[in-house]
Amino acid sequence: MSSDVSRRELIVGGAVSGGALWLVLTLPRPLAARAAQASSRPLVLGADEWKTVEAITGRIIPVDHEPGAVEAGCVNFIDKALAHEDAALRPVYRAGLAGVEAVSRKRFAEPFVKLGAEQQDEVLVALESGHADGWPAGGDGIPPEQFFAAVRAHTIIGFLADPKYGGNRDYAGWRVVGYPGGGHHLGGYSPAQMTGKEKITAVWGKEV
Amino acid sequence: MGAKREEFDVCVIGTGAGGGVMIQELAAAGFRVVALQRGPFLQPAQFDDDELRTVIRDQVFSPDQVETYRYDEGSPTETGRFNLTASCVGGTMTHWAGWSWRFRPDDFRVLSSEGPVAGASLADWPITYDELEPFYERAEWEFGVSGDAAGNPFAAPRKRGYPNPAHPGRTASARVALGARQLGYHPFPTPMAINSRPYGGRPECAYGGACQQYGCQIGAKATTLSVSIPKALATRRLDLRPNAMAREITLGKDGRARSVRYLDDRRTEHEVFARHVVVAGNAIGTPHLLLMSRSGSFPHGLANASGLVGRNLTFHHFPAVNFTIDEPALSFTALESHLALDDLHASDAKRGFIRGGVVAEINMLVKQPLTFALVNLPGYPAKRAWGRELKDFLRKFPRAVGVAGILEDLPMEENRVDLDPSVTDRHGLPAPRITHRQHANDLAMNRWFTERLLGIARAAGALESWIPRVPGLLLTDERSAAKGSAHFHGTCRMGDDAKRSVVDRWCRSHDVENLWIVDGSVFPTAGGYNPTLTILANAYRVADHFVREAKRQSL
Repeated sequence: MSSDVSRRELIVGGAVSGGALWLVLTLPRPLAARAAQASSRPLVLGADEWKTVEAITGRIIPVDHEPGAVEAGCVNFIDKALAHEDAALRPVYRAGLAGVEAVSRKRFAEPFVKLGAEQQDEVLVALESGHADGWPAGGDGIPPEQFFAAVRAHTIIGFLADPKYGGNRDYAGWRVVGYPGGGHHLGGYSPAQMTGKEKITAVWGKEV
Repeated sequence: MGAKREEFDVCVIGTGAGGGVMIQELAAAGFRVVALQRGPFLQPAQFDDDELRTVIRDQVFSPDQVETYRYDEGSPTETGRFNLTASCVGGTMTHWAGWSWRFRPDDFRVLSSEGPVAGASLADWPITYDELEPFYERAEWEFGVSGDAAGNPFAAPRKRGYPNPAHPGRTASARVALGARQLGYHPFPTPMAINSRPYGGRPECAYGGACQQYGCQIGAKATTLSVSIPKALATRRLDLRPNAMAREITLGKDGRARSVRYLDDRRTEHEVFARHVVVAGNAIGTPHLLLMSRSGSFPHGLANASGLVGRNLTFHHFPAVNFTIDEPALSFTALESHLALDDLHASDAKRGFIRGGVVAEINMLVKQPLTFALVNLPGYPAKRAWGRELKDFLRKFPRAVGVAGILEDLPMEENRVDLDPSVTDRHGLPAPRITHRQHANDLAMNRWFTERLLGIARAAGALESWIPRVPGLLLTDERSAAKGSAHFHGTCRMGDDAKRSVVDRWCRSHDVENLWIVDGSVFPTAGGYNPTLTILANAYRVADHFVREAKRQSL
C-alpha cells in the first residue's frame, strides 16, 4: 500500500471525526522539529499562501485577552509539518488555498486576507459545511470540508504541541490552557502539588 | 542465513507481559533462551513527555505497524492502525499504565455462572482462581504493585497484601471519591505496578504525568523492559534479538516445532532453531504468526486443527465521561488512575445485560492538551468547533476530570484476526485483519455504565460533563464497534477440549507438543479488569509447570 495516501486519508478522516490520536500513520522520525529549529521561514508555503493560512488559523483560535494562533506561530508549525511528516497533505493545502480564494472572491470580491473577521468567518462556515459557493468543481477533488478539517486540526496541534515543532511560540498555547509543560521535564510533582497545596512552576516561569 | 546452525532450548517470540516473564523464568532456571522482538530495544533515555511525537503521531512505539479492519464479513475493509500496541522490547507493556488487578473467581467460570447466551461463545477457563492465586501474588511482588489490599470490599480473596503502599491521590481522584461515597459506593486507590517507594532496585514514581502511552523515563513503572529483561540478560543465557519480525514457525517431520524464521529490518531472513517455541505476540500478533505458518499438516495455520486460531477476539469496552470542577483538578500530574470502585462489577441480569466491570478515575483523555482538544470537543455541546468556542473550551483543560469503565465484552466466534488478502506491511507480510463488532450485551452494558458515570460526575460536583469521542475505541451508538483496543484477548483460547480450544490448561498447543502460547490470546473470556496482571500471573504459572516438567525430563 502507499503509506502517503493512507496518511492523508487518515489525518483528514481523523480530523473530521475528531479523533486523530493513534489512527495516523507516519514517517519514522520527527523531522519537522528539526526543520522548525533550523528556520522559521517558509519551506513549503508560498508568501501569499503563508498569509492566507495564517489568517485562517487566526479565526480558528482567535486572539482575545490572550494570544491566538497567529501569535503562537501556528502557520510556521503547519509549514514545517507539510515539509516533512504531513507532506501527504500538501495537495489538500494547494487545492484548498486556491479554493478559499475563489470562494472569497465570489462572495466578497476580495482575497481572503483582505476580508474583515466576520467575513472571514462566513467563508470558513461555508467551507466547514461543505457548501462553499465558488469552490472549484472537479480540480483535485478535495472537498472544502476536508481542507477545513485539516487546517483546524493542524492549528490546534500547532497551538498546543511542544514549541520545538515551530508553533506554540513562547509557550503561548500552553499559557492559554494552563498546561505547565512536560511533568518529567519539570522534575515531577510532589503529593502536595498533586492536590493543589503547593503551586507548580510552569516551564515558562509562572505558577499555575 | 548463517552457516552455523545454533539450537536453543527455547525460542520466545515477543517480550511483553507473557513473553517477558517466560524469558525471565526460563533463563533463571538454566535454559538457553533466544527472544525475538519485532521492534527496537529502546532505552529510558529515548522516552520523553512529547505528546505530538508519542501519542498523536505515534512515532515511538509502533511507527510502521499496519492493520486492517472490517465490521463484519460483508463490510468494507479499511487500512490503518487501530490497536495501541508497542513493538519495542518489552512490548505493549512498555507504555502501559500499570493497572494491576486480580480477576474475580467468577471471571474464570462465565459459562457455568451465566449459562449460554445467544450469539456469544461463552466458555469457562480450564483453571480456577485458586490455581492462579499464588502466581498473582508472585506477579504482584515481582512487579512491585502499590495498593491497599483492604481497600476493595469486592475483590477476590488474597493470602498476602501488596508489596508497596497505595499512591497518594490528586484533586481529581479526591473529588471522584467524594462523589462516589455520596452515592454509597466504596472507592479505593487503584492498584498500580508503579513504585510508591523505591523497590526492586527501581526508584519511586516522580508523578510527572506522561505515563499511560509513554515509556517511563526513570523506571518507576514496572514493565518487562524494566523488570524481566534485565534479570534475564544478567544470567547470560538470553540471546535478545530486537528488530526481528517472526514470519513462520516451521514444523519438523516428527510433528514438533523445529525453527522460527524471522526478517530483520532489511527484510533479510534468518532462522533460529529451538527445542521449544513460546509464542507471546499478543492476541493479534500471535494468531497472525500462526496463520502465516502453513504446512502440509496445517494448511489453515499452525496449531489450528480446531479452526479457532484468531477467533473469539475480545477487546473490552470503555464508556467514558469527562467533566469540569470548580478548582484545578491536577489531572496532568501522576498516574493514569488514582481511584477505582467495584460496586457495579458483579453480574446482574436484572440490569438488562450480564457481566460488568470496574469503574475508575482516569486521566487518559484529559492529561495533556492535544488529546484533550482533539477528542473532547466533538462530544462537548459547543455551537462551533472553532473560534471563540474552541478557545473557551481549551481553557477548561486545568479543571477537567475523567471517569471510565473497563468492561467485559462477550466473545463471539466471528470476531477474529486473520490475514488480509491484499494489504501488506513493511516486511511484505500480510497485515493482520481485524473483524469485530459488538454483542448487544456490550452495547446495553455500555449505555447503563455511561449513565452511572454521569451520576458519579454529578455527585462529584461537575460543573458540566460530556462524553468524549474516540472513533474506533469508544462506543457511541448502536452501529459502533471497537476497531481496536489496548486490551487484546481470546484468539487462542485455552481449554480442556482440543476441538473447542487452541491450547490446554498449561497453554501448550493441543496439536504441537513443543509449542506454547503465553499471552492474552489464551483468555477464554475477557474479565472486567485490565488484563496485564492476569497475563503475568498466568505466565508465572506456565513457566513453573515448564520448569518442573523439564526437571522430570518429560519435556
